[in-house]
Amino acid sequence: MSAGLLTLLLLLAALLTLAIQQRQDFGPAVRRFIEQFGMLVPRMLCALVAAGFIAKLIPQEAIARLLGAEAGLLALPVAVAAGLIVPAGPVIAFAIAAVFAKSGASVPALVTFVTAWSIFAAHRILIYELPLLGPSFLRLRLLSATAVPFLAGLLAILVGLLSSFGQPLLTQ
Amino acid sequence: MTSFDFLQSAEWWKGILSNAFGNSFWGFAAAAFGFGLLCWAIKGPDFVSDALFEDLQLLVDLMPRVFVALSIAALIWVMMPRERMAALVGKDSGVRGLVVATLAGAVTPGGPSSAYALLAVLAGSGADRGALVAYITAWATLGLQRILIWDVPFMGAEFALLRFAVCLPLPIIAGLIARRLPIHLHIKDTEDRPARTKAST
Repeated sequence: MSAGLLTLLLLLAALLTLAIQQRQDFGPAVRRFIEQFGMLVPRMLCALVAAGFIAKLIPQEAIARLLGAEAGLLALPVAVAAGLIVPAGPVIAFAIAAVFAKSGASVPALVTFVTAWSIFAAHRILIYELPLLGPSFLRLRLLSATAVPFLAGLLAILVGLLSSFGQPLLTQ
Repeated sequence: MTSFDFLQSAEWWKGILSNAFGNSFWGFAAAAFGFGLLCWAIKGPDFVSDALFEDLQLLVDLMPRVFVALSIAALIWVMMPRERMAALVGKDSGVRGLVVATLAGAVTPGGPSSAYALLAVLAGSGADRGALVAYITAWATLGLQRILIWDVPFMGAEFALLRFAVCLPLPIIAGLIARRLPIHLHIKDTEDRPARTKAST
């Protein structure tokens, strides 16, 4: 069992204990669980399959060539776009980041890519955000957070001017 | 017990089903099929079966998490002291509310199933738009669990630390931007709060 699931299980156990102590009425909780489960799971199955195929179709090497140090500031929008089109969880996203790193992508480009993916990952928007919060929240969040990966990349460039801290490991 | 009566309501179950298998479900299904065909045409059948096998592994991994995460969110949904939450991250909470939301996002364990379910809880409890955006942005960019499990082993501790440091102020900036954007926010389920009228003493 993974550490993540274990943490969640411990949290659930603590909450259940608390709820029983407080003599909570479990009806509304069960109702909300079933409603959210119905909203999420069927869509999730299809979106997962679609995302798996898209991940296979992404031209990783071609993108990596655009992320090198010689690309300069241009690497940032490319890295953001690459983060946008990786519609998959961390397994695939970080495997791709490792490919980028091995092909010579600059540190700011990698920071931008990972940050853009973590904010915009399309599968998360489709599977969780739209069903649970709706389109108006999505619009608000995208407009508010669009600058974030660019700012992260720019800050990383500034750090890079001062020191070479932050080089990725190339173990893969 | 009367609070479980909804389980006997055929209308309620019909609503669940039509929500679960509505238009967007079929849209996703069509997309999955279309990209599968594309993958077959461009990369060949081996890639299609590879992708499907990986999907299956991911699913086995994911389903228990979704179960547990949704249970946690549902419990928090009924137990959370809404009045206090609104004071902490509500409209008048200022930058302090954004900092609180950012910290909460960074320490929220689990993947998107728990983070988004909790975000929906927050949205239904009077958190303001800036705090909502700061929370989910912090979970995405600063999530400690993700950094420890993924950033560090794949990219190295140094890179992870650099990325964490440059991202640290950004959820608050995103929250400040969100507070100024003229977007009418209509959150899906703020209407159907559980009928639990706790005396506001």
